[in-house]
Amino acid sequence: MRTFSADLHIHTCLSPCGSLRMSPRAIIQSAIDRGVDLLAVTDHNTAAMVEVVSHAAAAAGLDFLYGMELQTREEVHVLAYFDRATDCLSCAEAIYPLLPDVPNVPDAFGDQVVVSLDGTILRTEPKLLVNSLDLSFSETLACIRRFGGLPVPAHIDRAAYGVLAQLGMFPEDTACQLVESDADLPPTLREMTRMCSSDAHYPEDIGAARTHFRMESVSIVELERAARGEAGRFARCQCE
Amino acid sequence: MILHELARRMDLERLVDSQDATHEIETGYVGDLLSHVLASAKSNSLWITIQRHENVVAVAQVAGLGCIVFAEGMRPEAPVIERARNAGIALYVSPASAFELAGRLHKLLHTEAP
Repeated sequence: MRTFSADLHIHTCLSPCGSLRMSPRAIIQSAIDRGVDLLAVTDHNTAAMVEVVSHAAAAAGLDFLYGMELQTREEVHVLAYFDRATDCLSCAEAIYPLLPDVPNVPDAFGDQVVVSLDGTILRTEPKLLVNSLDLSFSETLACIRRFGGLPVPAHIDRAAYGVLAQLGMFPEDTACQLVESDADLPPTLREMTRMCSSDAHYPEDIGAARTHFRMESVSIVELERAARGEAGRFARCQCE
Repeated sequence: MILHELARRMDLERLVDSQDATHEIETGYVGDLLSHVLASAKSNSLWITIQRHENVVAVAQVAGLGCIVFAEGMRPEAPVIERARNAGIALYVSPASAFELAGRLHKLLHTEAP
């Protein structure tokens, strides 16, 4: 059993709101500097950067989960985690046609660039990524699970893009073991477990909020078991 | 109708002025889901919303909405105001509801216009 210092919500330079400084190397260097040893990159509605960052993480000896941050029709943000790159990429491929054909306007939203390990720009993503998929909240959870992933509703306590603000309450048919929240969970959600993460858009923000997961190994099943507190496992939030 | 005239007659509090003194408003749009506003709002609308996320400015730019009115006293934070000023998007706030504001706008545009 090991305790991982995890930041599971990090944007790369591909997210329009993410700094262009969020290259694979810069992300990994900042994670090392700040003592984060398990990370996930979670760009908006795309997984085009997960593999290159996973290679950088592996080279540095850091643990990694493949992730995305999906946006539902109701503008709820849901984090998705996968053990395998292929599952994450298949899910990303399946949702891409459900993203509206609205082009990104870099001057308004920011640049959306796929880069190599050293930060060289390989291509620009034409569709606006911070937009809603044509999937409801519950359909989004089901979609993530269908590809073998773990859905985690993002920043549920925030005024924008959180499930509570957008839908007024957690829909009854959409139970999740793990949710991301900066604040303690309300009494109605006591059966769920909270994690917190940085939602970093700049390298220096990585690890500013994190969760200590005590678990046997790095996998989404272990994350859920830590959330349930099974056999000495735990998930404990740390916000700076 | 000219935005300044509309804002005065709708009793809106100005947060960021339009860069265009002759800024013309042709119609209105009410919506809080940014993706839906992007897909549906007509340009040159007066956009009435309770959504205060910073992305409202980018959405207004892309959708060609030169002015945002925050209803129910939903005052945006300083970074939003700063961003709107840089982007040339006018911002107003009012304690009135979106229903009430849309009613005032509709009356001014459709029953009092020449």
